[in-house]
Amino acid sequence: MTCFRINGREVSVDADDDTPLLWVIRDDIGLTGTKFGCGIGMCGACTVHVGGRATRSCSTRLADVEGAEVTTIEGLDPAGQHPVQKAWVGLQVPQCGYCQSGQIMQAVALINDFPAPSDADIDNVMAGNLCRCMTYVRIRAAIKAAAADMKGGATHV
Amino acid sequence: MLGFVMAKRIFLAFGVLLLVGIVGIAALAYRPAIATVPVPAFAPALVAEGEILAAGGYCATCHTVRGGAPFAGGRAMKTGFGTLYSTNITPDPETGIGGWSQAAFARALREGISRDGSQLFPALPFDHFTKLSDDDVAALYAYMMSRPAVKAPAKPNDLPFPLNIRALQAGWKLLFFKAGRFTADPAHNAQWNRGAYLTDALGHCGACHTPRNALGAEQPGKPYAGASIDGWIAPALTAANQAPIAWTTPELTAYLTTGVSLYHGTAAGPMSAVVHDGLAKLPPADQQAVTLYIESLGQGDSRAGAAAPVLAKALAVQPGKDADGRLFTAACGSCHHAGAAPNPLRPLIALNSAVTLDEPTNLIRLILYGIGAKQGAPGVVMPGLGGLSDADVARLAAVIRRTHSALPPWNDLAKKVAAVRADGPGES
Amino acid sequence: MFNPDKSAVAAPHPLSRRGFLVAAGAGGLAFGFAGLSRAAGDAAPPAATAPGFEPTLWFTVGADGIVTVNIIRAEMGQHVGTALARILAEELEADWAKVRIVHVDTDPKWGVMTTGGSWSVWQTWPLYSRAGAAGRIALIEGGARLLGTAPAACTARGGKVIAGGRSISYGDIVARGGLTRSFTPAELDKLPIKPVTERRLVGKPVAAMDIPDKTNGSAIYGIDAKVPGMVHARPVLPPTRYGAKVVSIDDAAAKAVKGYLQSFALDDPSGSVPGWVMVIATSTAAAIRAADLVKVAWSGGDGATVSEKTIQDRGRALIADPKAGGIVDTGGGDVEAALKTAKTRITATYTTASVLHFQLEPVNALAFEKDGVFEIHTGAQWQSLTLPVLAKALGRPETSIIMRTYRIGGGFGRRLNGDYAVPAALAAKALGKPVKMILTRADDVRFDSFRSPSVQTLRIGLDAQGRAVAMDHAASAGWPTQILAPGFLPKGTNGTPYDPFAINGADHWYAVGTQQVRAISNDVANSSFRPGWLRSVGPGWTNWAVESFIDEAAHAVQADPVAFRLAHLTGAGRNAGGGLTAVGGALRQAAVVRRAAELAGWGQKLPAGSGLGIATSFGQERDMPTWTACVAQVRVAPKTGEVTVEKLTLVVDAGTIVDPDSARAQVEGAALWGLSLALHEGTTFTNGQVADTNLDSYTPLRITDVPELVIEFTASDQPPVGLGEPATTVVAPAIANAIFAATGKRQRHLPIRPEAVLATV
Repeated sequence: MTCFRINGREVSVDADDDTPLLWVIRDDIGLTGTKFGCGIGMCGACTVHVGGRATRSCSTRLADVEGAEVTTIEGLDPAGQHPVQKAWVGLQVPQCGYCQSGQIMQAVALINDFPAPSDADIDNVMAGNLCRCMTYVRIRAAIKAAAADMKGGATHV
Repeated sequence: MLGFVMAKRIFLAFGVLLLVGIVGIAALAYRPAIATVPVPAFAPALVAEGEILAAGGYCATCHTVRGGAPFAGGRAMKTGFGTLYSTNITPDPETGIGGWSQAAFARALREGISRDGSQLFPALPFDHFTKLSDDDVAALYAYMMSRPAVKAPAKPNDLPFPLNIRALQAGWKLLFFKAGRFTADPAHNAQWNRGAYLTDALGHCGACHTPRNALGAEQPGKPYAGASIDGWIAPALTAANQAPIAWTTPELTAYLTTGVSLYHGTAAGPMSAVVHDGLAKLPPADQQAVTLYIESLGQGDSRAGAAAPVLAKALAVQPGKDADGRLFTAACGSCHHAGAAPNPLRPLIALNSAVTLDEPTNLIRLILYGIGAKQGAPGVVMPGLGGLSDADVARLAAVIRRTHSALPPWNDLAKKVAAVRADGPGES
Repeated sequence: MFNPDKSAVAAPHPLSRRGFLVAAGAGGLAFGFAGLSRAAGDAAPPAATAPGFEPTLWFTVGADGIVTVNIIRAEMGQHVGTALARILAEELEADWAKVRIVHVDTDPKWGVMTTGGSWSVWQTWPLYSRAGAAGRIALIEGGARLLGTAPAACTARGGKVIAGGRSISYGDIVARGGLTRSFTPAELDKLPIKPVTERRLVGKPVAAMDIPDKTNGSAIYGIDAKVPGMVHARPVLPPTRYGAKVVSIDDAAAKAVKGYLQSFALDDPSGSVPGWVMVIATSTAAAIRAADLVKVAWSGGDGATVSEKTIQDRGRALIADPKAGGIVDTGGGDVEAALKTAKTRITATYTTASVLHFQLEPVNALAFEKDGVFEIHTGAQWQSLTLPVLAKALGRPETSIIMRTYRIGGGFGRRLNGDYAVPAALAAKALGKPVKMILTRADDVRFDSFRSPSVQTLRIGLDAQGRAVAMDHAASAGWPTQILAPGFLPKGTNGTPYDPFAINGADHWYAVGTQQVRAISNDVANSSFRPGWLRSVGPGWTNWAVESFIDEAAHAVQADPVAFRLAHLTGAGRNAGGGLTAVGGALRQAAVVRRAAELAGWGQKLPAGSGLGIATSFGQERDMPTWTACVAQVRVAPKTGEVTVEKLTLVVDAGTIVDPDSARAQVEGAALWGLSLALHEGTTFTNGQVADTNLDSYTPLRITDVPELVIEFTASDQPPVGLGEPATTVVAPAIANAIFAATGKRQRHLPIRPEAVLATV
């Protein structure tokens, strides 16, 4: 039995230690916003946060999140209105949308570490997230818009 | 756990000793049993002290299985000759150490002799614990004997004959084991000596970081010179340490007390438990003493000034846009890109000794198996990229070595990856 | 991709033989066409009383004023529902805030369901425009009656019928009931589509309806489908696409996996998945792990000794045989004789490697039988092609099979071929319980209907003035349509059928004198794997050859590549255009070439090692031209041969732009696909399998390689045409032409790898 928190709630999962966190999230916990793309940690569609950091859930063993705090796209914001999500809608980023949960989770983590990300920061951090529809131009723009929004917001706190 | 891991070499020693003569050794091995006693009551302060010491020796790490009762044993220790299982050290009279007197407890820790007189396998680092003070042994005894008793029979070790003959331990002890308490070095102050005691005796750091001879004993002339152990490389703690930036007092303090450092990455592999189950729980004064002592081994503070250009170079690493560089960027860049300044949670690969060691073992382990939330930086996971083929992991290790260091390439990478994969992730 | 309804669209418009009905339906007012359940080519049923009328077809207006538009096209990133609803709402004068879309499940009443070929907007434009207009007229008449005035005194706007200072909402009109109306085909024909000045929705910014759900995890894709009691499956794939037979299955090792249930070989009457073994478990994770441990032995296997080179050598041999292949009608004439008259003759051969779809959602399907109906839950692009295959596989009539519609995590043509639905259905039938099958990435790639490798040899003859007098284009590749939809092959002028989707693009709009285009099916490819349609389809590789070769021809006569193109885009003769959507012909292509050159600073001096290259395209098909031009600016690293694309400038004339932001998004994605195919994507068929099965070695474009993109749409009031693919077709040749400008060396193979560039510079 592995215990951890997901989107703020405690869960106990009875599955093999080696089970990829991705399938635990999708099949055992039933949150399907996190997607399966490559299964080898190279596409980023399965990105969630573990301890607030973007993590490829397809390559994370269940045992390795014992006691950890996991956040999925469903838990990023209760109303789906995180500044990054708002920027994604505002700039109409998604096409097929399949990779976008992962893109958004990665982008949130990026902005947390780099409040004013440079193009090099975006390139290096987002290069692990493949978008087969190639929405990259908008991903870049939305990250910058969200970063500006979050910075602006912070001054009001 | 660290003591267990040298079992392989020690077993080799057995073989040699077999040739020397079984009869003499058998005579040497004889020790009397020590009678059981009722478990006495202990002063709470003594138990509390023992708790800290048990943490400092991270006893629970080896004597607990994941998800199991603390100290109830059963953890598998894989060796090249078979598998050993740690024993139940809760005070259960049937399956644990219930009824052990303090003398029996002390003899086990300091001499490697069980209460019934049988030889303990040297997976228990009695060669370090022999230096423990009487007071500390008493405190440890008080703590262990006041744990809840758990009925958990020892799992039979899976060792072939003749390595399973406990009496053979005696020969090895005769050759390499020197009993005796810690003695302070008058050339150093009390804090340094405290650090030395915690490091050499209780923490048994040399069990991993000191190289061993062909018969598996720590080489007296090479303390902390670094060693290959349990599928990992424990780097040198001396000035020979290969980290590109020196281990200064602030770096050691951060690493040894939180598991996370600015320039040296996080405490992964067997070192993780040392920090999180052990050093992190020591009182600050003891942590400072350990840091002071270990800094003195490598003299890192004297080289602090050399860090700036190395850091600048590490921040500017370009993995390249060829196929291997792209593999690196896609697989590693998301987490390890640090931008303009180092971030301990975005460890700079170019500064990590996993990249600069002579062997790629540690890097391959990290790539294949990652780091769990309980290891390294607490609550954070580095996923393992075991879904990649051996050839891909080898490519990744090669491009990291090529672009993140100026050192010569590693040889036979794919073979080494396959070997580490065959070895498995180890106990988490 | 191939739509039998297309012939109807190519006629003035598809409503010409059908009536339109307005009737009270269950939830309000329903608007639909009579007899659409018949095939497009059937004789027209009598209007208004047609028994085939289905009262919820196309759209409804509820008593609450909500307009619900039914969408038969798959949503796979084009925001197609928004664009199509926009077309209808425009003419209906609906209140956009009250418009909803529904992506429907399969039902014969929808007619052909397919999404591909960049056709959706083009084909739906006349249909939904007139459906909306007819609905508006009916509502005005009903509203006028309720307002006590004449229809002529009323206007419709924003979901209301307005007469002077008074108005009544569509919802209220519906709520008051009693509205019926029919339109004869002749009446429908006369309904005008609004002039551009009257447009209030089409061409105006709009938020795509599908996007919010794609940012919060709530969009449901096929892979997310579930029903109670389902078991999970992963296949073990045979070593070849065809011909392998299961000899034995050893699942001893798999039994150690917690949750593993059983393994069995599939018996597939449809021939979609020969040699497949299904591994069943209680969870996806267990099925994945167990399948790795199941050992299967196979016999036979076609193509086990076939590799990329075998296929390409066969292609070359076929091209060398003048009798091979079907001749596309490009006006006729003796091309050999015409070539002989030329002063300058050049020949070049272009090749492309195997290319994977690599849509990010691996193929999957959930299947089960319920109440006598077999339900298939999966994302699909061409349900009408897949249903008969499922019927054959399951041994039951199509009418007892329904395909439920889900979001598609990337189509790109992969999901036109619905073969992945078959194994899930067969397993569900065998087990008598719901089966959810998910392929791993490597499974998905090995089962891909990837784009065939291709060989093309082009010849051109030029006169003393540098004008083309003859051009011959022979193209050989595996033919997707021949394998998957053989009924759709037209006959060439020599009587030999050909796959239009393996030659479109070669029949370009340049005036080249006598022109011959020959499409040749590569039989070795066809028998070794299942060739697929991949985004931009034929022109995705034919235009690579055409536009590289036109560049070579320009340089051969010392002409500027832009000027050379303009000189040959004369718009004369068969290139004058016409019909509904090709108005303007090659002159519109010349206009985008001119504009792209201007925007990109054609003729500017660039540093050594850098260059500009141009390429143009008419998009996917001659009767649906999307006039596109692209200028690539590249830098070539002399030491490594690495090509950096610094900037892509694209100009697109796609007629009316219905949804400007989505249109731009499609061009952005399509152009970057072109870049990815040019430099980053390609695999090698090796002994019956593709060599690259995951992202470790198959390397589509990532964000680090995105150049500056300049995209401009030509203002136009012509009917809209497709946008999802044309921009893909111009990028590779523009890059190769730019590399030539930078280095003086010609690249003739896709993808262009640094080693190849290095070898030439």
